[in-house]
Amino acid sequence: MSHTPPVAAGDTFHAPTGQTVNTVLGPIPASELGVVAVHEALLSVIPGAQYAPDISMDRTEIFEILAGKLAGFREHGGRTIVDSTGMFHGRDVKLYEALSRSTGVHIVASTGMGPEEMLGGYFLTPQTNPPTPWPAGKFADLFSKEVTEGMVVPRVERRGAAGLVTTTAARTGMTPTEESLFRGAARTSLKTGIPVSIRFGADALHDLDIVLDEELPADRVLVGGLDRKDADSAALGVAGRGAFVGIDNVGLNDHAGYLTDHDRAELVLGLVKAGHADKIILSGNSIGVAKGQPDYDLPFSHVVSTFVPFLKAHGLSDEDARRILVDNPRNLLTVR
Amino acid sequence: MTKVNTVLGTIPAEELEIVAVHEHIGYGMPGSELDTTWWKSPEQAYEETVPKLRKFRENGGGTFVDATGICNGRDVDYYKSLSAKTGVHIVACTGFVGGDTALPHFSRATVDYLAKVFIHEITVGIGNTGAKAGVIKVGVSRGGRMTDLDRRIYRAAARAAVVTGAPILTHLAIDPEPAVTIFNEEGLSLDRVLFGHADDGLNAPITPHDWIYEQGGRIGFDTFGYDLELPDPPFWGRKRAERMEHFVNLVNKGYADKLLVSADANCSPLGWPGVKGHTINYIFEDMIPDMRTAGIDDATIKLLLEDNPAEFLSLQA
Repeated sequence: MSHTPPVAAGDTFHAPTGQTVNTVLGPIPASELGVVAVHEALLSVIPGAQYAPDISMDRTEIFEILAGKLAGFREHGGRTIVDSTGMFHGRDVKLYEALSRSTGVHIVASTGMGPEEMLGGYFLTPQTNPPTPWPAGKFADLFSKEVTEGMVVPRVERRGAAGLVTTTAARTGMTPTEESLFRGAARTSLKTGIPVSIRFGADALHDLDIVLDEELPADRVLVGGLDRKDADSAALGVAGRGAFVGIDNVGLNDHAGYLTDHDRAELVLGLVKAGHADKIILSGNSIGVAKGQPDYDLPFSHVVSTFVPFLKAHGLSDEDARRILVDNPRNLLTVR
Repeated sequence: MTKVNTVLGTIPAEELEIVAVHEHIGYGMPGSELDTTWWKSPEQAYEETVPKLRKFRENGGGTFVDATGICNGRDVDYYKSLSAKTGVHIVACTGFVGGDTALPHFSRATVDYLAKVFIHEITVGIGNTGAKAGVIKVGVSRGGRMTDLDRRIYRAAARAAVVTGAPILTHLAIDPEPAVTIFNEEGLSLDRVLFGHADDGLNAPITPHDWIYEQGGRIGFDTFGYDLELPDPPFWGRKRAERMEHFVNLVNKGYADKLLVSADANCSPLGWPGVKGHTINYIFEDMIPDMRTAGIDDATIKLLLEDNPAEFLSLQA
């Protein structure tokens, strides 16, 4: 296995000057992103776990683990990682700033929330009579301010701009509040120019159509989890609508609900053959540090160091590999 | 030796003096911390809070029981500083205001896990603050009926109360039958349970006060001051005279030994605007004078504000 060192000058192809991506250390030229892991988690905390007496939140330990994993990612050619956990699942902006400075890996943090089950009561049963859950417009405002005014460190301060807005629907099917979240995320994207990452519930195309119904261009949307077995053949439909296809559980080979890497490779090569190479996003959905949930210790570098070489051995061209690892994430993440 | 856990340490109940048994330094629904609409600088929070506690102390108030649950902005280090600087004893709670204020880590948890959390917070401490919780908060979620999650929390609270001797405060006293069943099943004397907000405007008409008393439960008239006469009353407000009339009626029935009173005010709300004009000091400025006018004698007032809460708050393991 060859470990391509990151190119200091970064990727300068197809990236007009002036285009930027929001990272925790500020906007950077889109051409500097390099190889991107688009759907990962750095610190992932089930809401409430931070208050549990049996769960340690030792910052030095968390930092050391994450720094080690990011260094490994960088050694394998990774340059940018997207923490796609949203604003209420352990996101720690100050920690991510320190990690980015220390490891040299660009970190894009996300705003957004979901599924409904992960929301706080503030959004679901507010102190009104009746307790009407939040509508799309309020979510749009909350998320948009995380871009235009900065991400919140709760009750203390705002810091850098979010680079992505993410939301998720329940596996049993999108709830009314989740529809508000999806519409709010779409409006955030329209207002601020950052992309939307959705994780579908029961029906990928239905859930994608909700955000497209807000007149958001499809190329601003990443539909994740399309390597779930119950996605059926939604990947082609998603690409056909012009959205990005997230095959983002790469490395997960022992879960009955997901394709194996072997089948993922077939899916990727099929999409390439169908002319959708410019819509494919690969990521590992790994968790740097998990709190209140099982660890998932897949290296952040798994896609670039293991899966893409596997794809190449099965016929993926160097050009398409580069497209998938560098160009597509850059096109998605560039603020428009 | 009677023992009450305060944020600055365990104290004898004899030191409590007048107790406000259900209050909030600052309450916010979980997630409200993400909405800058409600953020306050520490300067503003102290400025809004310290004078109210100081006045409470000057009025003869001794102890402030904070009923802000685990995910509702409970901030024990802050309470410690307030207590140390104002001289008001502050009792913090473990538990949840209701199932709908428990975040996923807890809402998915088993009764056994929740009980362990509550017991840890009462016997070891809350987070890394070193402060032990003195009461257990439980409640009925919005919607008027106890949810499955509410019931799990009640059962865990009952187990923690049996083990630690800490009392239970409930948010709302509606739909109390499942609660009483749970407490009985867990072997908890209902004398250790304060069925709270039995007086609020929305829920008083559907709260079976006599039945709760007959079961041996304590009854909380602990939203005193949320009067409809306020310029912008909340939806749970009630006519001032009606609340007092209701209260006097229960006193006259001989319920005084099971009644507890408080104002449920926020010193400085965290995730909502609060109710302008309502503070903990309603207890002294309005409630006690109204009680006297209504013919409640000083011995009964002392019973309500000192003796009953001292007995209730004392750890009885």
